[in-house]
Amino acid sequence: MEEALVRATIPKDLVKVLGVESQTRSKADAFTQAFLKNSIQQHSRHDLKNMLTHKAVILSYTRPKKEKKRSSKKAKGLNARQKRAMKIFDIKPEHQKYKLFLPLHDLWRQYIIDLCSGLKPSCNPQFVQQKLLKADFHGAIITVVRSKCPSYVGTTGILVQEFKHIFKIITKEDKLKVIPKRNSVFSVEINGFVSHIYGSKFEQRASERSAKKFKVRGTIDL
Amino acid sequence: MAGQLKDKEAYQRLNYLYQAAHCVLSQNPENVELARFYCFTQKTIARRLVLRQDPSVKRTLCKKCCSLLIPGVTATTRQRRKNRKTRFTVVKCLLCGQSKTLLNNPDYCLWVDRPEAQLQQQKQPDRGPSVKNQPKDSDPDKSASSTPSTSTAGT
Repeated sequence: MEEALVRATIPKDLVKVLGVESQTRSKADAFTQAFLKNSIQQHSRHDLKNMLTHKAVILSYTRPKKEKKRSSKKAKGLNARQKRAMKIFDIKPEHQKYKLFLPLHDLWRQYIIDLCSGLKPSCNPQFVQQKLLKADFHGAIITVVRSKCPSYVGTTGILVQEFKHIFKIITKEDKLKVIPKRNSVFSVEINGFVSHIYGSKFEQRASERSAKKFKVRGTIDL
Repeated sequence: MAGQLKDKEAYQRLNYLYQAAHCVLSQNPENVELARFYCFTQKTIARRLVLRQDPSVKRTLCKKCCSLLIPGVTATTRQRRKNRKTRFTVVKCLLCGQSKTLLNNPDYCLWVDRPEAQLQQQKQPDRGPSVKNQPKDSDPDKSASSTPSTSTAGT
């Protein structure tokens, strides 16, 4: 009885009041799994197994440390080591399908069209390129056109993360690939416009690009 | 104003990143890392260009690890009390344990809402990121996060 109540869809008259829509079964399942995983307490003891496999543990007596109580509620930033432990793009998303990233690409399409205030064939290519310099490329489909390393050429996929020297893309075969920016040319296609990105000039962080100015320096011959 | 034009692109970019984080999380609730990465980028851009963001946006980001806080998925929302009178909404990030404490006072008016008459010109770009973040696949978690007194089902 109660089981059925939990799984019941929200009636239509309540949808308007609550502003909450019912999800499809698969999405609801994914949500429930994530919720359960997060709400069940996980002990730090479980890391012991992991620790023992990697390191030799030295058994010796240590004095119990006095823990200082910090009463301040201010958020302290993480240091680099903590970031390295947390921010790593773990393997689990690699298993997820390329299809899951298609909504991200659709969102990116809309964003670019919004940015260029309607991409019409009459648009000045120079104007579009200017906009794209400062734009965000997360979620774009990029292809490697030319590169010094021949094995990179022809790789296509949705850009997932952009770092200082590399692009991380996810290909149609559900594989995560890491491509360095240096000495390679990428092409981005937005309905009708195809613009090339010279990776050697783009060697900076995604956030820095919107703030810094680009300087004309030298040519790229590939 | 020339400054307004330059800012407009940056605000669009911030808005896109915020939406992208929501989009990734709605597709796969496990993929916290990617959403966190997008929010981190968003924060860094705002810091570099010195852009003020709306409090409604900032309240859904964790201060410590920059992850997106959605009740039930990446955060727990609880109602707490102090000395029987004042009520607080405590939002706790499940990834790093950082908690936000917000006062529950219906009469309280934010600083952003108060000097509206003075900031009429700057209002439009300021409001952009918060009003427009309604992606096509609007997930129920987001609409739930806008109401101040939600309690998750895990009680």
